[in-house]
Amino acid sequence: MEADLQQHVAFYLTGKTPGTSLDAVDGLKLRPVLFAGYRDLTRLRYDFPLVLLDGPDAAFVQSLSGLIDGILTQVAGGDDGERVTKHVLRLEQEIRALVAAGESGALSVLWVKAADRLAGTDKLFKDSLGRARAALKTDGEVIDCGAALPVRFLTHAWSRIQQQKARKFQEHIGQLALKLSNILKADFVRSEAGQQAKSLKAAVGGTYDDAFDFEVMSRLLGKGTPKNALPESRRRRIEWAISALESQRFFPLQNGAKKRGEAGKAHSFVFENCIEVLAAIRKRQPEMIELAKAVAIAEFEIDNKYVEARHDSFFREFNENSLDARDLAQFPDYLVCLNADNIQAAENDRLMEILSTGMSVKILVQSDDILAEQPHLALGKRSKQLANMAMGLNDVYVLQASGSHLFQFRDRILKGLSYPGSALFSVFSGASSPDADITPYLVAAAAMDSRAFPAYTFDPSAGPNWASRFYLEANSQVDLDWPVQSVAYEDEAHQRVSEKLAFTLIDFVACDRRYAKHLARVPKAKWNGTMIPVGEFLAREPMSIPDKVPCLLMVDADNVLQKVIIDDKLIREANRCRETWHSLQELGGIHNSHAERLLARERKTWEEHEQQREAKAGPAAAAPVAVPAATAAPAATAATPQPAAAEPEPPSDEAYIETPRCTSCDECTHINSKMFAYDANKQAYIASREAGTYAQLVEAAESCQVSIIHPGKPWNANEPGIDELIKRAAVFA
Amino acid sequence: MTTAATECMLRMYEDQHKLEDYQSGVPRWCSGCGDNAVLTAVQRLCRDEKLRPEKTVFVSGIGCSSRFPHYMKTYGFHGIHGRALPIAEGVKMARPDLDVFVNTGDGDCCSIGAAHWIHAIRYNMNITVFLHDNQIYGLTKMQASPTSPRGTKSNTTPRGSHLDALKPLTVTLGVQNVSFVAQAVDWIPEVLFDIVKAAYHHKGLSFVRIVQRCPEWLPHQFEPWMQDPQKIQLLHHDQGLRISPAMAKIYKNQLQHDPSNIDRAREIASYDDPLPVGILYRNPEVPCYEDLHNTGQLRTNEYIQAGLEAQFDKFTIEGSKKSRSRPAESPAP
Repeated sequence: MEADLQQHVAFYLTGKTPGTSLDAVDGLKLRPVLFAGYRDLTRLRYDFPLVLLDGPDAAFVQSLSGLIDGILTQVAGGDDGERVTKHVLRLEQEIRALVAAGESGALSVLWVKAADRLAGTDKLFKDSLGRARAALKTDGEVIDCGAALPVRFLTHAWSRIQQQKARKFQEHIGQLALKLSNILKADFVRSEAGQQAKSLKAAVGGTYDDAFDFEVMSRLLGKGTPKNALPESRRRRIEWAISALESQRFFPLQNGAKKRGEAGKAHSFVFENCIEVLAAIRKRQPEMIELAKAVAIAEFEIDNKYVEARHDSFFREFNENSLDARDLAQFPDYLVCLNADNIQAAENDRLMEILSTGMSVKILVQSDDILAEQPHLALGKRSKQLANMAMGLNDVYVLQASGSHLFQFRDRILKGLSYPGSALFSVFSGASSPDADITPYLVAAAAMDSRAFPAYTFDPSAGPNWASRFYLEANSQVDLDWPVQSVAYEDEAHQRVSEKLAFTLIDFVACDRRYAKHLARVPKAKWNGTMIPVGEFLAREPMSIPDKVPCLLMVDADNVLQKVIIDDKLIREANRCRETWHSLQELGGIHNSHAERLLARERKTWEEHEQQREAKAGPAAAAPVAVPAATAAPAATAATPQPAAAEPEPPSDEAYIETPRCTSCDECTHINSKMFAYDANKQAYIASREAGTYAQLVEAAESCQVSIIHPGKPWNANEPGIDELIKRAAVFA
Repeated sequence: MTTAATECMLRMYEDQHKLEDYQSGVPRWCSGCGDNAVLTAVQRLCRDEKLRPEKTVFVSGIGCSSRFPHYMKTYGFHGIHGRALPIAEGVKMARPDLDVFVNTGDGDCCSIGAAHWIHAIRYNMNITVFLHDNQIYGLTKMQASPTSPRGTKSNTTPRGSHLDALKPLTVTLGVQNVSFVAQAVDWIPEVLFDIVKAAYHHKGLSFVRIVQRCPEWLPHQFEPWMQDPQKIQLLHHDQGLRISPAMAKIYKNQLQHDPSNIDRAREIASYDDPLPVGILYRNPEVPCYEDLHNTGQLRTNEYIQAGLEAQFDKFTIEGSKKSRSRPAESPAP
């Protein structure tokens, strides 16, 4: 073994560099070669920053670049479109820079700030921005990818869902309360008190005060109105339902509703831990049952369907078992935002209790640092474990994603928040990097692409099986172990060199300074063919003393290419990460071992069958096409439907009616309503032949518009004119 | 939106009605009249769909067929000539929870009520419309109607009518927002019932033209179609009607027609011979006017009063404001 390779292998096996030509990477500010183009993200147009849009009707989130594109399609269509586009894109870049520098706030505010910094005295610039601003019809908080994003994003989406829910519920209970009040009002108008002169006068108003004698009116109305006032029990029930509907605290009051005191304020549904949320749910349960009961009673009363004998006992026993998932889904969902690093054992127990009982609680578990060594690389172990366990419960909506991918998952997040049951959102914010040079967006995106924190959703409402419930396709090149990207660089001879490199866990870990000890830079003079890309190394069979060492292409602060070799510990972690990814792939139906095994078995059976067939047929076998043709013929014969057994026709000498064809026109029943009658569908049949004469039967057959009466043969040969009747009846045989 | 408890209890004690529960009085139509077949089909629908009589309304205009509401033991409104549709729209607008049906004749709908007909199609409110088309004014004893074929001799056209008949289906299919168009004949009750049922289940305005016999004034008008099953073309499709084996045995002239194809529906609608029977067009995606119009605003007494006041204020004459006094609010019950 050459000396260089020996040194490299020694580092690979021990992670030690003394006495070698290898350099420690700490302090070199190296980054994976694939990140070389992403030093200043503010100069790139991508999903971030996001705008969390205000207003109930618009989408709840949009990317800044998406909003700007929308504006440009409106204002940059004319001759000066190019100029307007250039200016507005410059503004967008400035807003992005402001946000990256830590500024926050509403888009309208940042817009003004950025415009002030750029505008100067350029009139055309001001004109472009003025037109663009006029086209911006919406506003909202601007937020970048970072530690604050998951909570803000989820809370904003959750609020939007709750607002929609509240509007629907408020409208419903408002209608119910109004209709119940109308029942009481109608009762009052018909009551003695309502018909007193004073009440009548108040109802008519002052203008025509003198035109009426309300005393006389009162007497007249009193005499003419039926005296059927509401039963007292019904009145009490209605009054109770109105009061329960109006005093509910699950949704804010609608405009116009009477204000309630502090004690009547609507409940809050956002919590920071599971213990409190469970306590709140338990405390509010009786209130919720009372409200649901009031809604049910109101629905019965309004429909005038409440029967005390049936319903009193039912509503006396009304409890949590009387509510099904659909009822519960009408109430607000609880939102709990947790940080994976702070979840203690007690909290974990409560969390599992919530998830396993299917309560309408939406839980965000945010991870900020998934690269802590404890002692293995945890890679967000706690949050990933929770997500896995939640999927095992089978009826929990689960979403796992990096912060960088939240915008792409916005519809799935809304779906999870609308899911009637528990939902768990496990999000890696990307805000853990001690190296400020790499932004949280890049860290989060790298975590996802390197399979360290893959994105997926599990939606129990999407179908009955894993194929419809589990979604993994958001990850790049989902059928590969590691996504492969093209890299191009310039060599010493200024020639372009292109390579395809797998982006592995090692690339992600190499961004973190804490893992610098597992990497060693190889001076350029020592580069040799035994250093192979990590992706290639991971694909090889493991050897005790390897003949090659894994090497990562990185760049320094000046974008100069460097080669870094990796120790065995990181390679082992990468293998573990790949195993986990394989499990997810199997759940997603990619390289599924069961399916592959079944496929292999079927293929083997088919091959054996083919071999046997060939052996039997021998060399003189007929042309292959003859076989299907020969087999097809009997099959076709077999498939030909046999003529259906003839339906039993009534004997021709018996009178009958083709009842299903009767048009209920009354012709026959007018001739003899005992002989002809209608069935349950009001279609005629012969009820009693003996109830009339053969002459009536023939007359009915002749007058039937649709000719469906068949008189058959006469039963009394002595009936007058029978021969003539038989002749007339013959046409209806 | 009802709670599970309400639904469960309602289902538990669901009212069971018989056909007789929807019958009211003995129809005064002539014996042999096709209206009887429509009445039976509709009463069967009410029974099978368990329609609550107090939640069901039949609205009609003037003519033989417009006596329909009298024979239904539900709510009814025997309106004025040609105005069945606007009345029905008003009922639906005020009470969207009711099942609203319209029975109108060829004179009522296609002549004096033609303007309302066009706009009712465009409004596409969720009501079911039956056009009883016997091609003659029967109640007034035989005058030509817009759908009378050219040459029809009547009291107003003793030498035969001069104009080609108006085709209700092609007109309906030409109106924007049309969402359901079907044609039935009264002498095939099974298919008539299937079409009535499909029309009821469609959300939007379902327009069903029922070609029907008038045994009194045009007794032989449809004889060729009644006597020769080949002259009836049954339309069938997975998304439309399915023909029963019994029907298939009698009516062998069948055409597979996709009811979502409006161009083909328009073409089929123009045929008289053979006469197409089935669902010509169905589009459940067309929005209903009552849904578009619904703002979700709670119409409390205070809201209605404020709206009225705002309207009245438009006509206030300056200087008379002081003398105008508003009615005091009704005392609470």
